Order: sequence, then C-alpha cells, then structure tokens
Amino acid sequence: MVCSSKAVPLALCLLLGLSLGSGAFAKDDAARLAALKSRLKAIAEETTYVEAITRIQRLGRSFGYYTDKGYFGEAADLFTDDGTFQWGVDGLYQGKAHIRELLTRHGGGSLQDGPGLPFGRLNLRMQLQPLVTVAADGTTAHARWREWGLLGEYKKSATWGDAIIEDDYVKDHEVWKIKARRYFLNFEAPYQGGWAALKPVSGNWQSAIARDFPADAPAAAQYPPFPAVFVPPYDYADGTLRAIQSRAPFDPPRRPDDELGRLEKLADAKELQLARAHSVRAIENLQAMYGYYIDKGQWKKAAALFSHDASYEFGQSGVYIGSAHVERALSLMGPEGLEAGQLNNYVMVQPIINIADDNRTAKARWRSDVQLARGGKGRWGGGVYENEYVNDKGTWKFSKLHYYVTFWGDYDQGWAAKPYPMDPPSTAIAPDRPPTVVYQSFPKLQIVPFHYNNPVSGKPDPGEQE
Amino acid sequence: MQRPATRNLGPLRGIALAIVLAAMGMSAARAQGGTDLQDIEKQLNGLGDRIQRLQDLTDVEIVQDAYGYYVDKAQWRNLSELFAEDATLEIGGKGVFLGRARVFEYMHVGLGKLGPHDGSLIDHQQFQCLPTINADGVTAQIRCIAFVMSSGGWGHNYYENKFVKVNGVWQFQKLHGPFNMYSGYKVGWLDNTILNTYPEKWPPWPDLPPTVMYLTFPNYYVEPFHYLNPVTGKPMPPPSPRAGGEAFGR
Repeated sequence: MVCSSKAVPLALCLLLGLSLGSGAFAKDDAARLAALKSRLKAIAEETTYVEAITRIQRLGRSFGYYTDKGYFGEAADLFTDDGTFQWGVDGLYQGKAHIRELLTRHGGGSLQDGPGLPFGRLNLRMQLQPLVTVAADGTTAHARWREWGLLGEYKKSATWGDAIIEDDYVKDHEVWKIKARRYFLNFEAPYQGGWAALKPVSGNWQSAIARDFPADAPAAAQYPPFPAVFVPPYDYADGTLRAIQSRAPFDPPRRPDDELGRLEKLADAKELQLARAHSVRAIENLQAMYGYYIDKGQWKKAAALFSHDASYEFGQSGVYIGSAHVERALSLMGPEGLEAGQLNNYVMVQPIINIADDNRTAKARWRSDVQLARGGKGRWGGGVYENEYVNDKGTWKFSKLHYYVTFWGDYDQGWAAKPYPMDPPSTAIAPDRPPTVVYQSFPKLQIVPFHYNNPVSGKPDPGEQE
Repeated sequence: MQRPATRNLGPLRGIALAIVLAAMGMSAARAQGGTDLQDIEKQLNGLGDRIQRLQDLTDVEIVQDAYGYYVDKAQWRNLSELFAEDATLEIGGKGVFLGRARVFEYMHVGLGKLGPHDGSLIDHQQFQCLPTINADGVTAQIRCIAFVMSSGGWGHNYYENKFVKVNGVWQFQKLHGPFNMYSGYKVGWLDNTILNTYPEKWPPWPDLPPTVMYLTFPNYYVEPFHYLNPVTGKPMPPPSPRAGGEAFGR
C-alpha cells in the first residue's frame, strides 16, 4: 500500500515533516551531539582518574593494616611480581618472596607459621598523608606517603619510626599494584630520649637485617638519616601540578529546551558532581604537599601553594596576609632547608573537606600532630586546622590557613607534665594583624569552631558544657 | 495492486522512488540519532553512579572523622547524632549498646561530662581510614585507626564500622572499636600496658555481652577485615595460632 498512488504525497509529507521537525539537526544538532559525545568521553576519563586516586589510597592503607598485624605475605601481594622495595640505604629487594621476607624480618613474625605476630611484638606502621599523582595516560601513578611507626618488643624495646615513602604504581589488567617502593627511613629512635637524642651517623648505617639478608641490588642513592636534614626526591609523576588540580570553575550556558538540551543539562550536573569529587582529592594532595614542604623547611615552595591574597594564622602569632608575608611567617620556624638536628614534622590527617556547590571555593578541617627537635630538645604538638581554599583556574590554592594549637609539650616529660604555651606574635617579623581568636593552649581546652554543621543531623554545634 | 499502481506513475516513478528512499534515509538517520541519545543518557547515568560512589567515599569518611573531633572535646550530643536511631556501639570489652540514646549514655555516663575540661586531653585521632561503599549504594564500611594522645598517654585502636544511607545521609549503623594498645607516657609501650575494659568495669552496663573476647597488647587481636585484598581479591585469613601472639578471638 505504501507505493500506491498516495506514495508521492506521503513521501513528501515525510520529507517535509523531517525538515520542519529537526531542520537544525543536520547542522547545529550534529555539532551539539558531537560535543556531547566528546564531553561524555572526558567525564568517563576523569571518573577513572579520580577512582585511580582512591584505589591507590586503598593500596597504601591496606599495606599499613597488613604489616601491623604480621600479614607480610598479604602486604607483599600488593606489589607486582617483579616489584621492588628499596629499604633506606640497605638496598633494593625484588619480587614478592624477597619483599615478604624483608617485611617479616623488620616486623617480627615467621615465614613458616603464617600471618600473625609473636607475643609482645609491636609493629604499627601507620601509612599517612598520601599525595597521589596519576599519569596522563592513566596506566601509571605515583604517591608519597608518611610512615609513622610505633615499634618494639614488650619489656625489651620501644621505638619511634619515621619514614617517607615514594611509590610507583602500575595498572595491570584493571588492578593497581605497587611497582617500586622507595622507603626513605628518617629515623628509628628509642622511646627513651626520642629523636632529639639521636647522634649523627658516620659511614655505613645499613641495618643488621641487610647483613643477614642482603639486598638484590644496592640502593640507588646513599643519604644520611636524622639528625641530618635529607629531602627525599619529590618524584611527582611527571613534574606537573596535576595532583592539586581539578576542573576550572565553569558556568554552563543555557541549554535549549529540547531532547538534546535535556541531556546537555544532565551532563552539566554530572560534570559538576565529578569536579567536586575530584576537588576533594586535589585538596587532600595540596594539604599533604604543604605538610611535606613544611617538614623540610621548604618555605618558598610551601608559600607558592597560597593565593596572592591568602592569609596565614598560626596559634597566637597573628595573621600574615599575601603569599610573600606567608613565606616570612613560615621562616619563623627556622632557616630555609632547616639545620641539622631540626625536626619539623607536621603530620596532616583526619580531613573533613567541603567543596562549595559551584566548585569555586572549599573549606576543610584537618588535624596535625607535630614532632619537633630544636637544640637537642624534642617537643610534641597537636592542633586543628580550619582552612579555606580557592579554585584558581583549575589549580587549588590556600586562601586561608588557620592552625589552632591544642597543645605543645616537652618530649621527655610529656605534654601533660610539661606543657608549653604558644608563642606570642613575633617582633622580628611582625604580623599584619593580631590573632583573630584569643585563647590559651593545653592545659586550657576549647572547641575549635567547625566550618560545617553536624554532618548527619545538619544542626550547628550546640556547644553544650557541663 | 502495487505493481500496476507503480507502473502507472510513469515518469514520476523515478522521482517518487528517490523521495521515498530519501525519506527512509532521513528516518534511519533520525532513528540513529535517537539511539545515540538513549545510549548517551545510559552512559551518563552509568558514570553518574560511579561519580556518586566517589562522593559517598568522602561522605562516609566525613562522618568517621567528625566522630573523632567530637570525642576530642566530649561533644557527646553531637557524637550520638551521627548514629542511626537503631545503631549499635561496641568499644573495647564493654559489650554492646543498642540505639542512639544508649550511645549517648555510654559516652556521657561512662566517659565524662559534656564539653572540654581543662587539663583533660582526650585527642581521638582518626588515621588511615579505608572506606568501602557496598554495591547496594546505601550501606558502607570503614576500617580506621584511632590514635589517642591523652593526658594519660597513648592509645592505638581500630574501628571496623558500618554505615547506612538514610534519606540521602550517611550515618553510623554499627560502631565496633576493638582496643589494640594503651600505654602511659613515661616509658610508652615498653612494659606499661593497660588491660581491655569489661562490661562491669564502670557504668553504664551494656545491653548485650561483648561479641568477641580478646586481649590487648602485648597480646593482640585481629579484627576481621571488611574488604578483600585489593590486588589478589582474596579474603584475609585469620592469624595463625602458631604465630604465638593471639590469646583469644573469634
């Protein structure tokens, strides 16, 4: 019936209908469709990228949980078959079997008796402050971690461990694995006396384990541990700042009120949600990067992470404004690069990161534990950051850093027996403004104001006090 | 019928055919466009699910980290509001407390008055948190370390917690905090350790007995891992009794 005498008008009608209904389709719509497809591809790639960061964080944290309970085989399983572990200056151990034996010898336990630790062994190696960079092709990645160790044997020894870990990762059949770990031991210090009592090493400081269980290859480079100041090379995957970047702020244009427009709006929404999830990881990396620079007295590099009009406030030392003044404020902690015997560890943990709905700004609460050494004396510190950040054309920067000191305490006697007060504003490098909040540190205690409401009830802090 | 009709079109036949073919072609293009759009929407929604999981990971960790900051300053009201109405809490060897009101009581009666008190430091730091969002998208788990720096010294404990998403908000469904090591400051964990708690150690009394009996350092206990080894995909075996350190456990 189609090709009856009505065939011609029908065909014409069809043709006309098509032309009237979607005349733009051939040109504008085709271009819009192509743009949408290209955005879809970019969203897929960025999703995979952010997922990669979370998977690498998971690998590192799993390593911590396995080694601290003597699951050394399971920890070695996180490496590729030909994976390497360079331990301090001891050398390079290659392959899962050797890595397992290395971890077992350092942590206690037994190669024969399966997972677990012997009575009285403590091998807590907390894996903290990840700074993850995924390479552009998405198949390799890099991370820096801090290991804080509580080590020892009941009634025999109690030891602090401090190390920086530089890891290379590879994605092998969709599974991320550790390919090469460079474990830069900074110190293993007896609890009595702590790190401040350590003497400089001279000559070979390889461990006894390296003599009994020689490495497969020598370490790539020799370096001195604390009290020398050694900066492990920052092997950010390819030297870019990708680690602290996410999507630049973006106002989507008004989308046409048609089917394609509906999908464009859907893509806008997904893109924004993804950008905000990506920004969370960029800010984790930024805060970690800041901490690693502060550790080693790299004030210039740390100050470069601030926006030009950013503010910096530490304890009761007043407010410094602008990245140049931030750098001067940081230098109150010591000379650029520190001096031998100075320890300046600021551990960045416990983030609560809230990205603004438009992905232009963010706020975060962090905790920092502090391990210091100055003039042969050790000191503990603890406090809370309430920071603000700005998305500067896709690169996240500090717009406000505010560290509230909870306590300072003497290493030998502890913070409870011998707390120290905060420093007053410097007269040598005076702040731009006085402290915004006046308070005293431990033994006085107060609640550091929260930038967020209760994340479950949504209520502001009732501040109840009995 | 058809053949004669077509034949009758005479010279128009070719034009008609061309138009029909053109129309069919356009229809195919339009159908192709429709398929594309459906496919794009499907892919966008699929990516949206993955993006939501990324946000969930952050949201779950925020609840856990917020808990730590509330413990710091004895903000028990705030803390208990992080729990679902029917959530459970089990910390150390004190047994199980049922429901949000009992969570508040455990903290308030057991651990002290509301708010920070000068001289009493109880920093309850959350380290190395490893969250997992389950496939259903509305339940999740986390493994964390609580590293304690208090007026009394050190503590190192674990959390293996469960979360539930209610009306779009993640909250604690079950909090389980097995103790690992507590020590004083003077000699650290050298020979100064503090035993696990037990139900009658101090009020309030639990609703249910402890789900697991274990000893703390210098012994140790391995709380089962909620997640598979991220590389091998295998579950974690229990510790070998021959390793020598385990006294009691599940």
